[in-house]
Amino acid sequence: MVSTVQNSDVKQKNEDQAVVVAVTFAAVFDAEAEDDRDVYRLGVALPLLQVLQRVNERLLEENPVEHQLFDIILITTETRQQQQSSSIITSTRHHGLEVGRFCFSSEDDFIESLAQNNVQLFLTTDGNEALRATQQGVPSALLDKNSASCPSDQLRVVLCQDATIQPDADSSGASKKSAQSFLTRLGQIRQKFGMFNSPLCFTIVTSCGGKDSCCSALKSLRSLGVSVDEAYCLGGAPRGPILSILRPHFLLSDGFSQLEG
Amino acid sequence: MSELKPEEETAADDSGEEKDWEAAKAFFDSLKTKVPRPPKPRNAVTIAVSSRTLFNMVAERKLYQDEGVEKYVAFQVEHENEPLKPGPAFPFVKALMNVNTRLRQLYPDSEELFDIVLMTNNHAQVGVRLINSINHYGLTIERFCMTGGKSPIGYLKAYMTNLYLSKDSEKVTEAIDEGIAAATMFMSEKESDLSDSQLRVAFDGDAVLFSDESEIIVKQHGLDSFFEHEQKFENKPLAQGPLKCFLEALGKLQRKFYAKNERIDCPIRTFLVTARSAASSGARVLKTLRSWGLEIDEALFLAGAPKGPLLQKIRPHIFFDDQMFHIEGAKELGTISAHVPYGIGQKYHKGKLIQQPEKKE
Repeated sequence: MVSTVQNSDVKQKNEDQAVVVAVTFAAVFDAEAEDDRDVYRLGVALPLLQVLQRVNERLLEENPVEHQLFDIILITTETRQQQQSSSIITSTRHHGLEVGRFCFSSEDDFIESLAQNNVQLFLTTDGNEALRATQQGVPSALLDKNSASCPSDQLRVVLCQDATIQPDADSSGASKKSAQSFLTRLGQIRQKFGMFNSPLCFTIVTSCGGKDSCCSALKSLRSLGVSVDEAYCLGGAPRGPILSILRPHFLLSDGFSQLEG
Repeated sequence: MSELKPEEETAADDSGEEKDWEAAKAFFDSLKTKVPRPPKPRNAVTIAVSSRTLFNMVAERKLYQDEGVEKYVAFQVEHENEPLKPGPAFPFVKALMNVNTRLRQLYPDSEELFDIVLMTNNHAQVGVRLINSINHYGLTIERFCMTGGKSPIGYLKAYMTNLYLSKDSEKVTEAIDEGIAAATMFMSEKESDLSDSQLRVAFDGDAVLFSDESEIIVKQHGLDSFFEHEQKFENKPLAQGPLKCFLEALGKLQRKFYAKNERIDCPIRTFLVTARSAASSGARVLKTLRSWGLEIDEALFLAGAPKGPLLQKIRPHIFFDDQMFHIEGAKELGTISAHVPYGIGQKYHKGKLIQQPEKKE
């Protein structure tokens, strides 16, 4: 049984135009460390939450009546978490997190609540959850302890093209469409800022394919309205060293083979 | 976005890296193309060139300075199907490619090759024009970093760069401070007829291959003290300079040709062009090179004569020097030169004291 609760501390966003990002409880909070006052400590998603807030602030500076903002919802994905609803709400308020709504669902129905809330990006620390969400057509990305040390002044989105991974035979048209739609929205947000000093930065990293696949990725993203800022073509070199310099808030993998056509 | 990979932790980095390389090898082998697979950075001699050294972007640069980045990028995008003209590093890059071809003929499975990386500050949208231009000339550049305005230093290190060429002296100085061989390139004012079968690289000695310790003596105590000092310390090797490791890398590749009996026909030739005179200060230089186990093909001691005319005869693809007046002299007579902003030669024009950069391991 899914229940959705608004966070009265936070101004609600325009449902049609906001970009809804769902972050799981386990990413927002360090679930193991609960201090005496029933308040959870913050987890690996903190820099990401801060930077999404930063983008919203900059958007409102450009246009005080901007509606295309990030709308963050906190979602529980296990029954045990679902039962902690009041602690979760208290902790969120205590830390002053800009979470618009809470979605209390369990492992059986969290996918449903993603759909109900029109979630455009699902962020989790659990690989299985991410896979399930993607298969149901919700773009997902994994957060981990590297996410905890990301900068909080610029949202760094890295699209990783790894030509050796075969396009998923099961991936539906819906999954492709939702990926395109999400990127288009991000592209629109990016367009509101100039080349320098933007709070959002798009990077593509081509691991195995050569410069031509990087070039066609640049063009196909352009056709979606995404103007890529940085591009790294590795020609087979390992991604590790480059990614540790880039420090992405999240990585979207293998999006390109799905974007054509 | 169907497949998702969690970030590889440092503990699993090596096996993760190996898997990446295997996957890359499989991918490249499956391509029905003659384009050779780029080598692993640790095996190769990595040369990073900026977009303005590889291509002539003088007009575009002026547009950027006069009208700002948005107009500049829009212009590049509008003209992205028009190839750019060659820049100062272009002949050098073609010569490197030729050496690679010869190396592949002799050692088909080796990864000890030149690996050319495009390292640019440009916004990725300009990248399309850069890639189109690279394809137009058939250059084998498969790796690039377009940093969209951010400093390239971290990426230079990540690629284990052996030499970085740029038009921006600030970036070059930063690279040298981090222990990476680097130089600021200058286009020559005249056309020059360069060899297309042999890579020819000319180096100044002090403050380029060697440290500037001896130059300090000249500047502070005069030429006579310098001669005395050099003769007294003839047998003490000079400390290394910022481009010593690059000469070493060239030497390693040269030996691969010698091993296959190709010494006469070796497609790499190195030159030392120094203002030192052979009799009074030359011995120390040659003994230093020998103590490092390095060879240089031709050593030319000018005893203070201008370098321009001699370089005109040598016709190197690139000439490295730390002093701008030698660079100017070389440029006037048609030599493509590269300024190494290191040592007392730079301090001479500024008021303040600079700290010695740390030696690269």
